[in-house]
Amino acid sequence: MFLDGGRRLLETEANKARNVGATLARFGKYFARYWYGVVVAFTLITIGVWTQVMIPDLSGQAVDCYLFPSSPGSNCWYVTAPDGVADKNEWLSSLTTEERIVGLGGMALALTALFVGGAALNGIAFYAMSRTGQNVLKQLRQDLFQHLQRLSLGFYNENEAGNLMSRITNDTDTIQQVFGFGLLQVVSGALLMIWVVIRMLETNVPYALLSLIIVPVMFVATFYFSSEARKAFRKSRQELGSVNADLQESIAGVREVQAFNREEENIKDFRRVNAANRDANVRAAAFTSALNPVLEALGYVALGIVVVVGGLSVLRNEPLFGTSVISLGVVFAFLQYIQRFNQPVTQIALLWTNIQSAIAGGERIFGLLDTPVEMVNKPDARVMPPINGRVEFENVYAEYKPGQPVLRGISFTAQPGEMIAIVGPTGAGKTTIVNLLPRFYDVTAGAVKIDGIDVRDVTMESLRSQIGIVLQDTFLFSDTVMNNIRYGRLDATDDEVIAAARLIAADSFIERLPMGFQTVLGERGSGLSQGQRQLIAIARVALMNPAILILDEATSSVDTRTERVIQKAFKHLLDGRTSFVIAHRLSTIRSADQVLMVKDGQIIERGTHKSLLAQRGAYYELYMSQFKHEEEAELVR
Amino acid sequence: MAPMRRGAGVSRPASNNGLARAIRYLGRHKSTNLPAYGALIIATLAQLAVPQLVQNMINAITNGATAKQILALPSLVQPPLAAAAGFTVDELRAWQANAEGWLINAAVLIVIFAVVRGAFSFIQSFMSEKTSQGVAFDLRNEIFAKIQRLSFSYHDQNQTGQLMIRATDDVEKLRLFIAQGLILAAQAFLLLVATLIILFLTNWQLTLVILPILPLALIVFMRFGALSQPLFVEIQKRLSRLNTVLQENMAGVRVVRAFAREPYEQGRFERAADDLFHQQVKIARVFSTLFPLVFLIGQIGQAAILYFGGSFILNGTLTLGNYQSFSLYLIYIFFPLGQLGFIISLLAQASASASRIFEILDTKNEVSDAPNAVELPPIQGHVEFRNVTFRYFNSGEPVLRHVSFEAKPGQTVALLGGTGSGKTTIINLIPRFYDVSEGEILIDGHDVRSVTLDSLRSQIGIVLQETNLFSGTIRDNIAFGRPDASLEDVIKAAKAAAAHDFIMSFPQGYDTPVGERGSTLSGGQKQRIAIARALLLNPRLLILDDSTSAVDLKTESAIQRALDHLMKGRTSFVIAQRISTVQNADQILVLDKGHLVASGTHDELMESSPIYAEIYASQLVGDAQFDETSEIAAAPQEA
Repeated sequence: MFLDGGRRLLETEANKARNVGATLARFGKYFARYWYGVVVAFTLITIGVWTQVMIPDLSGQAVDCYLFPSSPGSNCWYVTAPDGVADKNEWLSSLTTEERIVGLGGMALALTALFVGGAALNGIAFYAMSRTGQNVLKQLRQDLFQHLQRLSLGFYNENEAGNLMSRITNDTDTIQQVFGFGLLQVVSGALLMIWVVIRMLETNVPYALLSLIIVPVMFVATFYFSSEARKAFRKSRQELGSVNADLQESIAGVREVQAFNREEENIKDFRRVNAANRDANVRAAAFTSALNPVLEALGYVALGIVVVVGGLSVLRNEPLFGTSVISLGVVFAFLQYIQRFNQPVTQIALLWTNIQSAIAGGERIFGLLDTPVEMVNKPDARVMPPINGRVEFENVYAEYKPGQPVLRGISFTAQPGEMIAIVGPTGAGKTTIVNLLPRFYDVTAGAVKIDGIDVRDVTMESLRSQIGIVLQDTFLFSDTVMNNIRYGRLDATDDEVIAAARLIAADSFIERLPMGFQTVLGERGSGLSQGQRQLIAIARVALMNPAILILDEATSSVDTRTERVIQKAFKHLLDGRTSFVIAHRLSTIRSADQVLMVKDGQIIERGTHKSLLAQRGAYYELYMSQFKHEEEAELVR
Repeated sequence: MAPMRRGAGVSRPASNNGLARAIRYLGRHKSTNLPAYGALIIATLAQLAVPQLVQNMINAITNGATAKQILALPSLVQPPLAAAAGFTVDELRAWQANAEGWLINAAVLIVIFAVVRGAFSFIQSFMSEKTSQGVAFDLRNEIFAKIQRLSFSYHDQNQTGQLMIRATDDVEKLRLFIAQGLILAAQAFLLLVATLIILFLTNWQLTLVILPILPLALIVFMRFGALSQPLFVEIQKRLSRLNTVLQENMAGVRVVRAFAREPYEQGRFERAADDLFHQQVKIARVFSTLFPLVFLIGQIGQAAILYFGGSFILNGTLTLGNYQSFSLYLIYIFFPLGQLGFIISLLAQASASASRIFEILDTKNEVSDAPNAVELPPIQGHVEFRNVTFRYFNSGEPVLRHVSFEAKPGQTVALLGGTGSGKTTIINLIPRFYDVSEGEILIDGHDVRSVTLDSLRSQIGIVLQETNLFSGTIRDNIAFGRPDASLEDVIKAAKAAAAHDFIMSFPQGYDTPVGERGSTLSGGQKQRIAIARALLLNPRLLILDDSTSAVDLKTESAIQRALDHLMKGRTSFVIAQRISTVQNADQILVLDKGHLVASGTHDELMESSPIYAEIYASQLVGDAQFDETSEIAAAPQEA
């Protein structure tokens, strides 16, 4: 947004794959799962290519068998002469015009049959390959999703959701573009080229080599242009990253933009990154646009060389440049071979850049799939029995980054039914403490025990399904209010959902939404205030009816009156259950059975609100600073 | 509804043919588009010369060989043999003498020709790519500008990700069509027409044989185009559904984990992936029928030519040479037909994308300058709500009902009420983020809808509920509303917002870069920057929405101190949960379910409003700050 902004690029990695072999092998494994599709496609396409190469031969037979059978060098293999005919050409020459036309008709029909068969083969092969490609892509997506589900929250702290998202969608998109039709085009093109080369070698080895003399130059040209294009594309990808970041920021922050009249300024800024992206793309286009004409021109150069050498050899009737004397027919044959060779070359060259970025995309996706999963159930993990509510932290240490402990020797015990308030300045480690309970992270030393059981000894599913947690950043799904609350208990009926909302006094505002409980929420909750979103998140937990409740600044944006209703509701709901509350509001802290004052990852004071005030320590100071301010405010007025 | 809805930014009527509209954008890029199509015509027509040039080389060899053969014989038999080959003896002599030269000339000619043609096809490809990039540039700018100006209610209903996809993916699909699809179609058409003319001139009877395949191909083209477009629309829908699940699982990963919903989410994702797969397979089925079918149509034409051409030769109405050159040109009929499938796929996708793009560009902006809007003169600070009713999206229950009140210049107005009572709505109406459904809002006697948005908003300082910072330095962020502000002014604003000290504690001070979504700063720090940002405008009207809820007590008191200081002398609207802030306000508005149920000062309300008394009591009982702290504070003196 700003000229000198330290923008993070969405996509800065090089577009070129580093470990092509390993990546291809892993793609291969995916394809192997759908081997039947690959086999069908490759078999049919091979036959399809063969029918294609048959066509000029067969068309040529029309001349040899029916039109000019008597011309010298005529070789008719299409028609079998009747028994007793010594000279086939002579017999063919003796046919009447009508007989020949009938023969031609039969030939046209045979050709048509060949075409229809070829079309069917190609169609089935294309379908089989596309289906296989889509299957592989689906499998890849599902594996990726499953893996993302297993990765620890630490991973998500380091990798921003938007960034991950754009990587995954971009990479699967580039793979999608190549899988299926593209792959088949490469295969059929390669088969065609191989066939042409075989025919060339069969016909005349020196001329075959002469014809292919240009191929290395074509390779060099393809590599040069595609690597230049790739460099330019890398730049354009970076610029695209800027465009995306700019879009993302300006749309997500559109309220501020309009509030501060920044529209024109932003539009100007966007124009600039947009123009940079355009220019980078145009630069890349210069290389991609050049490749095809260059290859085509090289093809004509090869044609010229072979025809001149062959033609001179024919005219002089002597071998040239170490080749043998050849006939006119061979020159014509090579003329055709070269033309047919050049066609797939251009096709494959055009796909080359796509294939490379697909491999690079695959490499990144496999890299993500290889990110180690830190949090797993122990092999002998058991199911957490119904929780009673005793929570113990035993000398707990925790860190997000090695060597930087966030918690240092936290110990406390919460008895069943107690409400524990955790207070302290920003960054003290409050959220980290409550995150250890549902085992979002593992301790680096010490232990977290619930009812005497170490949370690492039970399955995460059985543990988490008994702990209700409401986070400071409320996340709502783009679904109805009803389903957002139902997320707490998937089998809850509509009535149960409404009852849960009523319990925490959220029903009145929900009913005033345009569609009531059926209102679909967007990412920012369609006009819902922060407090309203918190209420929905709390209703979700109320519906879940957990054994342990954690509220991490969950009511920070809810007004005090509603907060009291919620607290009452939870008191009722949580009768005899343990709860943890992180809050700044004194009204919340006051009613806690235990207050833990945390600073720099350690509990520096503990007790009840009253006993802590009497203690005149850090808690008292924190509390007084608030009070002092209020007094000052009085004085100012 | 509101009479001010029409205005400058309001769009043209929606067109149902987005693609045609997109193509009209080409008109703005004539300097690259005309060369592109000019080069296309030259390169395409030049292609038609290839068979002739190849023929020249062949002729040089065959005629040279024939001449050599015949001229090697006794001179007596030469003339009849020459005549049989279609030459005079002199011509043969010329061939014999010059065959090698002519062959080399023909070969050089074809290479030169290839290079020239290559140059033109490069120009064509590059220029059309450049044109398409220009069109994409225009479209992106327009979408961006439109999105920036669309009112809050539009953004309430549309997700960032969805809007981004339209500005990136959809624009790219449209661009691809303009760069490739349109060019291919033009090339195909040109090649087809020119070849048909050549074929007619070569042999019109034989041309008639292949003519019927053209309408056949056209029918197939239309049929598949109509068939595949809705399929691509559906693909986009399913893809975005899949992406939504993915996005939600990454952004909401903590919620998913907290509720142990991984299997459920996996199920959702697999269903979405499966839906997409089936749609992709459906498209694959269509195109695996289409591609071979259009090829087949061309090939059947080839078989027909073989039969009829052969018959004509046998009947003596066609020579072999004519037949051969006819066959050579046939490829230029079949080649464009073969590309139809590709063109259709580009066309169908682009058309789906175009309608999604123009849907945004055609959206009526609900809040925009009235045609006769005037500049709002410098604000004195008098704000009046007259019988204001508001509904979100103009549907459902009103969130504000008949609200009337008046704020005098310099007053502090506190808004109080439960979650969802309409406090935020009131302050959103003042800078005209939304327009009222009924009633009017006057600032110094001007209806906010009668003045320009620029002049209105530039005089109002706002701190929103959720703090959004932008990438750039801290200084950039504070100067967000006044990019030309001096460093002194920025520092002054930061000091007033109690932000200066923590900013200076960073090694780079005001030049510290703010990461994406301000990730390098804590919640309280972000809020103070947001306050500084509002203060830099030195507004006469200040709006603070719940601005201190997410910070710890110490930070909060620092912010409060700063704010109290700043509200002096400005008309301020404050939403705060804490009654202490509210107590000192000149006017308190108590809201309940969209109604203004009471207003007055703290003392007045304590007497007259049971709701206020209840809120006050709840806060007092909840916090009991004054009693308790004074108790404790008093304690040491006693001790």
